[in-house]
Amino acid sequence: MDIGFWLIQTLNALQLSMLLFLLSVGLTVIFGLMHFVNLAHGALYAFGAYVAATVSASLGYWPALVLAPIAVAAIGFVLYATLIRSMRKSGPMAQVLVTFGLIFALLDLTRILWGDLALGMQLPQLLSGRVTLGGLGYPVYRLFIIALGAAVFVTLALVLGRTQIGAMIRAGVDNDEMAACLGINVERLFFAVFCVGCALAGLAGVVAAPILSVTPDMGLQILIPTLIVIVIGGLGSLKGAITGSLIYGFVTTFGAVFLPGLASILIYALLALVLVVRPTGLFPARG
Amino acid sequence: MLEVNNLDKSFGAIHVTCDVSLRVEKGERRVILGPNGAGKTTLFNQLVGEIRPDKGSIRLDGHDVTALDVPARARAGLSRSYQKNTLCDGLTCRENLSLAAATHTGAIRSLFRDPMTDPAVREIVAETAVLVHLAPYLDHRVSEVSYGIRRQLEVGVALATRPKVVLMDEPTSGIGPEMSHAFHAMLNGLPRDLTLVIIEHDMDLAFDVADSITVLNYGQVVFDGAPEAARGSTLLHDIYLGSWEDA
Amino acid sequence: MFHHTPLRLITLAALLIGLFAATLTAGYFGLEILAEIMVLAMLVIALDLVAGFGGMVSLAHGALLGFGAYAYAMMTGSLGWSAAPAMVAAILATGAVSWVVGAICAGSHGIYFIMVTLAFGQMAYSFAFESPYFGGDDGLGGITRPDLSAIGVDLNDSMSFALYALVCLIVAYLFAARVLQSGLGRALVGVRENEQRMRALGQITWRTKAHAFGLSGLITGLAGVVSAQHVMFISPGLMSWTVSGEALVVVILGGLGTLVGPIVGAVAFVLIKHEVSAITAYWHLVVGVILIAVVMSRANGIFGFVETQLAKRKKAPVPEAKPAPLPKGETRDA
Repeated sequence: MDIGFWLIQTLNALQLSMLLFLLSVGLTVIFGLMHFVNLAHGALYAFGAYVAATVSASLGYWPALVLAPIAVAAIGFVLYATLIRSMRKSGPMAQVLVTFGLIFALLDLTRILWGDLALGMQLPQLLSGRVTLGGLGYPVYRLFIIALGAAVFVTLALVLGRTQIGAMIRAGVDNDEMAACLGINVERLFFAVFCVGCALAGLAGVVAAPILSVTPDMGLQILIPTLIVIVIGGLGSLKGAITGSLIYGFVTTFGAVFLPGLASILIYALLALVLVVRPTGLFPARG
Repeated sequence: MLEVNNLDKSFGAIHVTCDVSLRVEKGERRVILGPNGAGKTTLFNQLVGEIRPDKGSIRLDGHDVTALDVPARARAGLSRSYQKNTLCDGLTCRENLSLAAATHTGAIRSLFRDPMTDPAVREIVAETAVLVHLAPYLDHRVSEVSYGIRRQLEVGVALATRPKVVLMDEPTSGIGPEMSHAFHAMLNGLPRDLTLVIIEHDMDLAFDVADSITVLNYGQVVFDGAPEAARGSTLLHDIYLGSWEDA
Repeated sequence: MFHHTPLRLITLAALLIGLFAATLTAGYFGLEILAEIMVLAMLVIALDLVAGFGGMVSLAHGALLGFGAYAYAMMTGSLGWSAAPAMVAAILATGAVSWVVGAICAGSHGIYFIMVTLAFGQMAYSFAFESPYFGGDDGLGGITRPDLSAIGVDLNDSMSFALYALVCLIVAYLFAARVLQSGLGRALVGVRENEQRMRALGQITWRTKAHAFGLSGLITGLAGVVSAQHVMFISPGLMSWTVSGEALVVVILGGLGTLVGPIVGAVAFVLIKHEVSAITAYWHLVVGVILIAVVMSRANGIFGFVETQLAKRKKAPVPEAKPAPLPKGETRDA
């Protein structure tokens, strides 16, 4: 196998990693900060994809890229105020069940609003077409996804590491009661972080829509990979999210190439192994 | 009964347990005293098996238990009560005591017998309830009874396993002066063949209950002997309150 | 701790009589639904054992159900065994696998426990999906029902099969009740309440959890076998995590930690599913809303709610703590 092949596969793995990163970072910070397991995160991603497909059909790709995350953040706002805030202190099982119920409800809601058929989404002129790498053509759009994911990572790293707000978030993740005692308005912080997390899920939806088909169960399909990513990576940390995403992307992409029958078992086995050896993942915010 | 030889433990640069040795005879009431930071809790955790010492050994009734983990040590006859109540809060006092008694009789391992109705278990529960003054509260949930009753249950659970040695970590912690007297009387009323090792802050308990005391300071044993001897000397005063030289 | 209270016994009797009567009077469709209820009830009883009484929320039980079904299918299909030994072997195998899963997961808690059980469940699902042995997405057919002609019963008749399923459900319930009232069952509840305390008493808690999983696995295996015998065809979908999720929903709907609740939940869930599906294509929405409502109400499901209400009326007050008499000569501070 030549350099071209490796390059293509690596880029494929990176693209998958970046897509998962966009989804997992919101979910992991929400869990790390609020100890809230939001299984409906996948459903929000699906909603983002649907909104994006609808908006882009009349206004084009770029408005969709901006509007879909905002729309999903708005839904997050409503969900937080009505459900999430009161379930925050309940145990993991109650949270799993409530968000399970949300998955069911949102699943049918998307079916009611958009029907059962798959939707497609057009790429803008700028991002369609291929670029020649190592003698082979590679889709520009996938490079865009990698770039976007990297940009989000850098932005979040800077915000979390270098700003006041970032420090407050990290304090809240570490010890929310103490942070509140220090004068940080923890409730408002949680609210804001939750909405940003939902916006990121929506962004992931827009980004995924042109390359995956937009169907009612796309949320369910992406949920398990996202959960695997954040649990392997460790809950609550940016480092965990990026590590988990990269591990998932590379293991499944190269696994599918070299061990076709066993590829999907491989990632679950890896998850089980990590959890047995490191019960809280590789880089949890709170060890 | 309980023999600790040259126990040593450090956490990084902090030397918490420094060459500690003690001997507790069968039936003895030993109280371990020391100011905050003296290393009492770390010593305690090494005795019960939650922490492994860096050096030294622990012998229980002649057997070396240093390598045994917490459940194994409990089965060897070492029982403990915690400073912070460690009870099955959603269950009744009777159920808590029954679980403890059942681990002793072996009923807990049965796939057929129900420990809750087992006569041997019921007998131990009844006896223990009398010893720790819990009889009126047996069928109430732990979450419903007062803190003082829970402390009594905490001791009761340790006793219901019919151990050889009971290690108690600050048993009167959080109990006001009114209840303390009753607590001391209860401790004094326990069977004489039971060996007790108690970590305490409360001097009154030490002098009320102890046959002998061990004083720790900065991880080392600085006194080991009868309570009267310590009362007489300036040692305890100096450790807890500082001496005139420090002023 | 588990006890057979009068309420539980009455509800149980009512349910079993109701199911029995329904079996005798239902038409073909009704009998299919009844068999579905019984299989689901068995699965959820098994789940209640580990989740309700053991505090271990498992998302692997769907996969374990599928394992039992596949094991039975392979034995009667490829290996050509007759039904009875295949049933016993499949049930024991599921119990063994469950024990291993329980032992491996014993060190995890809370959300991590849920995730690691999910991981195992999905591993089994992927394996069944992709392996040629198990027919992949096409599934396995050719499964046979036990031959009870010796006692004059033909299990290929729908009513007889439904009654057979009911008998299995009763066996499953009695087995679970026996386990919960044994030393192991009591220890399990102790571990759920305070694992640290149980270890301090001398209990080897990982083994308690593993044994509980294993015994739960036996019941799950039975459910899997009966499920395979019912539909006479299985596919990987049986092992998907959504089956585990559904089981969890049912146990919450009925009442966690009550053992009778699961049966209530199974009846309610299957009936709601079929009734709502007949009216609208959007039954997921209805179930989702009901689930959210049940969880947010903080009630322990239908049966749990009734139990809690009754218990509140009967509560005896806690006796007052009297301070002990002081030794002579001392006075009490104001």
